[in-house]
Amino acid sequence: MNKLITLFLIVGLTGCSLFSSKAQAGTNINGNVESRCTVNTDTAGYYGNPNAYTLTTLPADAGQVPLVRIDTSLANAYKAQISYPTSFSSSPSLGDTVVWTGAVAVDQTSSSDMSGYQAASTTADGGAMRIYPLSIAGATWFSVASVATYGGGQQKAFPGGSYTAVVVAECIAQ
Amino acid sequence: MYRPVILWLLLCGSVAAHDMTPTYPEWKMSFIPSAKMTTMQVFNKRADVEWYQIGVFDKDFESIPFVTRYKILNVKYLSRVEFDVYISNENTNDAEYICSTSKLRSYDNFKPIVESRICSRFK
Repeated sequence: MNKLITLFLIVGLTGCSLFSSKAQAGTNINGNVESRCTVNTDTAGYYGNPNAYTLTTLPADAGQVPLVRIDTSLANAYKAQISYPTSFSSSPSLGDTVVWTGAVAVDQTSSSDMSGYQAASTTADGGAMRIYPLSIAGATWFSVASVATYGGGQQKAFPGGSYTAVVVAECIAQ
Repeated sequence: MYRPVILWLLLCGSVAAHDMTPTYPEWKMSFIPSAKMTTMQVFNKRADVEWYQIGVFDKDFESIPFVTRYKILNVKYLSRVEFDVYISNENTNDAEYICSTSKLRSYDNFKPIVESRICSRFK
């Protein structure tokens, strides 16, 4: 009788160890949840040329306003700094002054609690950069309108060629 | 009403993104006695960008000397690159930010106009 019980115990324990070995052989998928900020370019944006002396991202003038989305997974961890361009990164040779104007605005938010972002923002770099403390976790869409006028108020025609200006979207840990 | 739509956009609309972790890195001992190191990761979900420049800055965003394998990293679309940054011991207290900045290409017809920059902070 004792031998029979011992035999059952040995078989039972072996079975358990086989099952546990099987469980350990599974493939692990590891992941980390940590605070992060992601900068997304949802709409690339481009300039329209409604007249000879203006380049603009306004849709009414055949341009497209770039949309930048910033996602944060932790409240109060980051601030967003969005700047409209104040110079061309590539252009034909320009002999006259280009006057830049623009506006950065909150276009959409993932939470109604973020409705105060625009009012809480501050400016820097002569108004070209707008700084938003990201006090709530979630997504915020920013629109960056930009207008370049050539001739320093004299309305001179831009030289023909390709023009590129850069919008800077920054996410800085606080 | 709009929240499910926004959430759907958040999950499905991420076509061009850039992130860097950790948010708050720390300097650790390195194999060089006079230098400390930290390890960062850049993830590239921007199809229009595959180069990212790394920089270390003080609280006023003035550059601080550092060493890494490549200061301009090639990060393929949808890939993650881990890199080590070394800094001399005397600069560790001044280093406030470590940033990755997208490098925009200008050699072809498609010219992205949004430069993304993410900065982690040493605390």
